[in-house]
Amino acid sequence: MTALIIVGVLVLILVLMYNSLVGKKNQVENIFAGIDTQLKKRYDLIPNLVSSVQQYMQHERGILEKVTELRAQAMNPRLSDEKKMALDHEISGMLGSIMVAVENYPELKANENVMHLQQTLHEVEEQIAAARRAYNQSVTDYNNAIEMIPTNFMAQWMRYTRKPVFEISETERKGVDVKALFER
Amino acid sequence: MKSTSELTDFYYKTLYPDLKRLEEERKRVKSKLTTAFVMIALFSVIIMAALANWADTFHEGLLFVGFVAVAIGTFIYKNTVRDYQTDFKHKIIGPLIAAIDAHLSYRADGMVTQMRFERAGLFRRSIDRYSGNDHVIGQIDGVALEFSDLHAEYQTRDSKGNTHWHTIFQGLFIVAEFNKHFHGTTYVLPDSAEKSFGTLIGQWLQSTTGSHGELIKMDDPEFEKHFVVYASDQIEARYILSPSMMQRLSTIRARSKAELYISFVSEQIYLGISTNRDLFEPSVFKSLLRLEQATEYISYLRLAIGIVEELKLNQKLWSKQ
Repeated sequence: MTALIIVGVLVLILVLMYNSLVGKKNQVENIFAGIDTQLKKRYDLIPNLVSSVQQYMQHERGILEKVTELRAQAMNPRLSDEKKMALDHEISGMLGSIMVAVENYPELKANENVMHLQQTLHEVEEQIAAARRAYNQSVTDYNNAIEMIPTNFMAQWMRYTRKPVFEISETERKGVDVKALFER
Repeated sequence: MKSTSELTDFYYKTLYPDLKRLEEERKRVKSKLTTAFVMIALFSVIIMAALANWADTFHEGLLFVGFVAVAIGTFIYKNTVRDYQTDFKHKIIGPLIAAIDAHLSYRADGMVTQMRFERAGLFRRSIDRYSGNDHVIGQIDGVALEFSDLHAEYQTRDSKGNTHWHTIFQGLFIVAEFNKHFHGTTYVLPDSAEKSFGTLIGQWLQSTTGSHGELIKMDDPEFEKHFVVYASDQIEARYILSPSMMQRLSTIRARSKAELYISFVSEQIYLGISTNRDLFEPSVFKSLLRLEQATEYISYLRLAIGIVEELKLNQKLWSKQ
């Protein structure tokens, strides 16, 4: 009888461990899907932005072409998560430099369409930042579970491996402050 | 917004004639009350002494006399203080608020409605008694803002049938329009579990006892030490609680020296500062001219009205303008 109870309890513990690991993995995927939605919103804005600034920005032609190309790559549905993250990082940087470059063109700064685009981009940027932070937390929880005793044995058997987190630089943590850009 | 020292100057210079008059009034009220309390005490002792002859009902008698004395005392206190209190709020608190921002309107006997307080969803117990005063409402820099003193209580009955009142929340309650769009609910509550049980057990307790939604771990250690966050949406909670917002809330917590209860519900921020007493009341037994007293009025008013500036609620998103 006691043996039966012990086996029962052990099975229960194993089931709970298994479920918590699966739950953590799904949480990561779930939040990544959230980032994806926000990223798509941003990708949708890029062609619009490029077409409204390109006739003025002769010197930045290179960046504009590059960002259009990266966008096309990022829209590919068969991309791996890591690749997506890397592309997103690159696009973020480029959009940042386009925003700064806009400052050199008074016609653009006064253009309502461009202003609206900048503001919308800023909103999306904040949402992306929030989604990234959520993702990093869920990945940390998942990675902890994979490496900590006792769930690490179970994770090994389930072939779960560590997932990378987004690198969030100090400037990015603050987000692109469009208002400050205008006020300079 | 005017600085604390400018407002202190305003308190002691512009308001001085009224302050002086009120200070005289306070002394009169104080001596009246002292006389009344001494009389009540004397009478109580005499009646108790008389009761001592009936030994079998002595204890009940004592309780009864004590109860009546307290009731009469409270009644006299409230009646004597009333005019002085009204006068004080009209002549001191009102002008002080106007000096901070002229667009705000002040009603000494108004309060944030119970419906709004309940909509914040911060406290889950149903309210049996709801009161408040010192209601301020208006717009700061295009942001709708209101706040008041509130006291929400619930009632219990013990086995003897006596009723007891317990405080759910007492303090300053602020409601303001939030500068971002959101659909779900996010609650930021004082972190009592993590403080008393340590990180590991505390977090486990938090995750099992949440009636406010999913437990969200935030990435600001200072913020995480003092607060616990529950929300309906992981990403949205972080969208609202951006790194700078978390810092600002930690600053407000440190400045208010009281527990904060914050919720983000239907595009509003609700912020309860649990001071556990009624603010903006005139002192009766201590001088009105004390600097401590002046600083307290000024600092809480600045804190409440300054919330718009402090949390940058006036930096609205494009789509909210």
